[in-house]
Amino acid sequence: MASKFWTQGGSDTEEEETDIEDEIENGGAGETTAAAAGSRYLQTNASDSDDSDGQKRVVRSAKDKRFEEMASTVDQMKNAMKINDWVSLQESFDKINKQLEKVMRVTESDRVPNLYIKCLVMLEDFLAEALANKEAKKKMSSSNHKALNAMKQKLKKNNKQYEELINKYRENPESEEEKLEDEDEDEDEDESGSELEDPSQIAAESSDEDDEGEDVDDDDADGAWEKKLSKKEKLMDREFKKDPSEITWDTVNKKFKEVVAARGRKGTGKFEQVEQLTFLTKVAKTPAQKLEILFSVISAQFDVNPGLSGHMPINVWKKCVQNMLVILDILVQYPNIVVDDMVEPDENETQKGADYDGTIRVWGNLVAFLERIDNEFFKSLQCIDPHTREYVERLRDEPLFLVLAQNVQEYLERIGDLKSAAKVALRRVELVYYKPQEVYDAMRQLAVLSEDGEKDGDETKVEETWGTSAFVVTPELVSRKLTFPENSRALMDILVTLIYKSGDERTKARAMLCDIYHHALFDEFSIARDLLLMSHLQDTIQHMDVSTQILFNRAMAQVGLCAFRVGLIAEGHGCLSELYSGGRVKELLAQGVSQSRYHEKTPEQERLERRRQMPYHMHINLELLEAVHLICAMLLEVPNMAANSLDAKRKVISKTFRRLLEVSERQPFTGPPENVRDHVMAATRALCKGDFQKAFDVINSLDVWKLLRNRESVLEMLKAKIKEEALRTYLFTYCFSYDTLGLDQLTKMFDLSDAQIHSIVSKMLVNEELHASWDQPTRCIIFHDVEYSRLQALAFQLTEKLSILAESNERAVEARFGGGGLDLPLRRRDNQEYAAGTAGGGGGRWPDLSYNQGRQGSSGRAAYTGGGRPLALGQASRDRSSQSRGTGGYSGRAGSGMRGYQMDASARMVSLSRGVRG
Amino acid sequence: MANSMARSFLQVAATEEVASPLRVVQIEGLVILKIIKHCKEFSPALVTGQLLGLDVGSVLEVTNCFPFPIREEDEEIEADGANYQLEMMRCLREVNVDNNTVGWYQSTILGSYQTVELIETFMNYQENIRRCVCIIYDPSRSNQGVLALKALKLSDSFMELYRANNFTGEKLREKNLSWVDIFEEIPIQVSNSALISAFMTELESDTPVKQCDYDRLQLSTKPYMERNVEFLIECMDDLSMEQQKFQFYYRSLSRQQAQQQAWLQKRRTENMARKAAGEEPLPEEDPSNPIFKPIPEPSRLESFLVTNQIANYCNQINGVAGQNFNRLYLMKSLHDN
Repeated sequence: MASKFWTQGGSDTEEEETDIEDEIENGGAGETTAAAAGSRYLQTNASDSDDSDGQKRVVRSAKDKRFEEMASTVDQMKNAMKINDWVSLQESFDKINKQLEKVMRVTESDRVPNLYIKCLVMLEDFLAEALANKEAKKKMSSSNHKALNAMKQKLKKNNKQYEELINKYRENPESEEEKLEDEDEDEDEDESGSELEDPSQIAAESSDEDDEGEDVDDDDADGAWEKKLSKKEKLMDREFKKDPSEITWDTVNKKFKEVVAARGRKGTGKFEQVEQLTFLTKVAKTPAQKLEILFSVISAQFDVNPGLSGHMPINVWKKCVQNMLVILDILVQYPNIVVDDMVEPDENETQKGADYDGTIRVWGNLVAFLERIDNEFFKSLQCIDPHTREYVERLRDEPLFLVLAQNVQEYLERIGDLKSAAKVALRRVELVYYKPQEVYDAMRQLAVLSEDGEKDGDETKVEETWGTSAFVVTPELVSRKLTFPENSRALMDILVTLIYKSGDERTKARAMLCDIYHHALFDEFSIARDLLLMSHLQDTIQHMDVSTQILFNRAMAQVGLCAFRVGLIAEGHGCLSELYSGGRVKELLAQGVSQSRYHEKTPEQERLERRRQMPYHMHINLELLEAVHLICAMLLEVPNMAANSLDAKRKVISKTFRRLLEVSERQPFTGPPENVRDHVMAATRALCKGDFQKAFDVINSLDVWKLLRNRESVLEMLKAKIKEEALRTYLFTYCFSYDTLGLDQLTKMFDLSDAQIHSIVSKMLVNEELHASWDQPTRCIIFHDVEYSRLQALAFQLTEKLSILAESNERAVEARFGGGGLDLPLRRRDNQEYAAGTAGGGGGRWPDLSYNQGRQGSSGRAAYTGGGRPLALGQASRDRSSQSRGTGGYSGRAGSGMRGYQMDASARMVSLSRGVRG
Repeated sequence: MANSMARSFLQVAATEEVASPLRVVQIEGLVILKIIKHCKEFSPALVTGQLLGLDVGSVLEVTNCFPFPIREEDEEIEADGANYQLEMMRCLREVNVDNNTVGWYQSTILGSYQTVELIETFMNYQENIRRCVCIIYDPSRSNQGVLALKALKLSDSFMELYRANNFTGEKLREKNLSWVDIFEEIPIQVSNSALISAFMTELESDTPVKQCDYDRLQLSTKPYMERNVEFLIECMDDLSMEQQKFQFYYRSLSRQQAQQQAWLQKRRTENMARKAAGEEPLPEEDPSNPIFKPIPEPSRLESFLVTNQIANYCNQINGVAGQNFNRLYLMKSLHDN
């Protein structure tokens, strides 16, 4: 926000002001000081301000403004001279040279203003003085000294151009000045200067204060508001008294056109334009005109943003939001005004007054503006360092935007533009979906608090000032208050329902993903999963834009975390394993840029990527994610490895985990765990030995658990799971060594109840993972040593091949017929469901096809344990029966070409629901 | 020279009686014995030999045969093989044996004979002789007390397609040709001269049980089943490969179609613009463009053959399993007694 224009007002504006007043009192006494030169204009202008001429004002105001700028720069230079600061002097000198160009352009004369010449003379003198004073020179700091020398060179060069003028001035400073003054006066001939200078000056000043206020606190900002308004009020009063009748629609329109035409032209100050337009809104004659100008104001405010990568200054952003609200006020007040960006409206459409009956069309696009504002908000959060207070302050502006979005949406719904309303609703959804209830509550409270604060401080004033100043009075019809439902879920439901009804494809997809994310955040795994499967997003996500793919990845990650929290380990692993398969989690979630060793990114790519990053407060904690992923993998993989100990390569559930384990096993010495990975590896080592207590302790010592809301219950669940898997691992590992194993001993070893052990072991028996039987009277497990014949092994191999063949056949058919309502997949589904439902009862002909990796088995054991994870399956089938819906096979074939081991199951699932739908 | 004369004469004779299709292959007992002897001796290596005989109406008489030396992958030796064949034929003619070729015989392991080579050989023979058969002998199956002898020929419709070398899905549908229709099996009739029959009766022992009956009762059929299943697995792999080929084909096809569509779209808009500008529209087809080059559809022949083989293995497994059950029941009842 520290633009050239603002800073020049500087901290000494007050001082300047008093200067001006003094001079007014003194009358036109010719003063030779540099400061006086600026005020001289004011004064002379003020003296004959009565004969105003609206038509000419434009040119004058711009010109005078230039002079004003120059004067203030000269002022700064004076100050710099006083403290012997050559660095700032040099800067000011550069600035004044630039300003000179502008002035010359504005005045359209080739005569250099004497103000400038005077400044040069002054500088020259000071320079000579400084150079003469050797001692002082020595004392200077190095940078200052450097600046002095540079200044010397510059001034020498520069002054050559104006040698003549300077000499003239030196000869006769007074007369020269007088003469120039007169000429200026002739040109001016009217009052405009004082009036139009003042707003700009005041605005500059007040916005400066505004900035300061923001840095300090909101309350201060309010104070600044007060000041600003009061000054404006004064100014407006003057305006009103002077020429209420002279400002017509035409004049305003003309001026408006002029300002708009200057947009984008070189040398047009962006801030100035905003100011000018803002002023125009106050003098607009008809509501439609005001609306039109307001749209331009907002466009101009967007222009202030320096580039694609930077973000809009925050105070401008806030004003932008306020302007949008005013627009809405007008639109609500005059329902006959229609905003449209399709047709080019009639030139004089806005002339139609407030009492005009027919529809008035004004060009503009509310949704586009709103989205732009949102984007700017997002960008600012991307840019601001998340560890500063500024970031938090910025986050507090969110309710502001939400209010706006809410109002825009209401308005759009009222006029029946549901499609746009859906877009706006999506913006709201995207601000809410990632917030857990606590954060949501906090936001609500903040909204309510700031509402109260604003009420007693701001509201009356605002009304008063606007009421008196603007021609077109716009009462605050639109509520500035957020109406939040108690529950963020309720809010989400309302919004997504609207979007599903009337949004376009992309909007719907995004809303769906947000919805899934939100459900997952609230531990509603089954709902989130159902939405994911029903929406077919997994199939189509590759074709969507990158930011939607990122959103999909985020949703998947969140669903994975959710599955873990509710204790569905296999499902959690299914969701997360793909995120980790490529080692590019950061990139996939847009939470940082990962350096790739093998191929360099072009700067272009890097910039794009940076632009996609999620703001810090939306991040999913990567450590927690990694911990969850690895723990899921551990719980699945350790018993699996134990079961296939003879042929470890045969069936791999998590490649990532295996790789990590290999790396950690290769280390000659394992130190105490440091990061998440080490912890899980340490736990794995313990679990492999069946030492559940140690495994749990290691995992428990991770400090990411504090990020979980229901930490206790999750850890409880985790402990139970670890015990269970430890028991299974133990049984797999040592079943060869025992003939019988007592239930009591197992109970003691694994701290599990009889019933639990009984159920776990029975499940293993039923799934034929363990070849044993219960001997109830003695409470023992009797192991059978079963060796399979080669023929049997071959038969297993054959069935596996067959199933692969059938799968790919099916996929081919699906690809050919677009996966329509074929009955083949359906039948197969039933088959599978049956198999899974009976938990592979007796190893049916097609025992769970979703795990088709397993059944290789030329070695006896491996052959028979292909059934995979019976426990997880059991859960899946249980939960399926409660909802009559498919397995937890989501492997999201997402953005990064993910492909999961359960993909087939999910693909079938999808085709099923598609069939049902179609 | 004389040889070719004779053959061409025969060919003429054959073409005259196109009408009657081949119904029976009549084989001399001696020929069968020679085939069995040859194949068994070299088992498990695969051997082939020439069949000689006469084509009489709907009956193909096979009256003699001679083995080929074991072929090696060497051109010189291959040339030797051809020489050997010619030489052999000449010698046989000199001793006044039927010396016109009617086909060939070959041994096989577990009935895995459905290969492209077999079909190629068939086509080669077919060029010279209208009626030719291939006798396939499976020594391993014969061990179980069955005479595993089969006479095969290619079906006419298949041969037609093969000549056109066009095994796309469309053509196959047009011809209504499925994998079952590639080979035709022809019933075999064994004929012996009266003298031999009389001698055989003389030889026959008094006991009602013969060696092959004992063979049939052999209980250990496990290796046989295992081999069968192994081969089945191999077939599955082959089939998967074929399937992948097709998937790849369809993927590239759809990609190409998308490209074509995009190109066409572009060309159309271009044409619209040109039309608006009053220029001649560009043609909507551009044969020089690589995206319009049709992607060759993979041949279905291989997958058909694999399917045939699979069917064969399945039949064998079915048969053997059935017999095994019978034997087991038999054994059980014997034990009970």
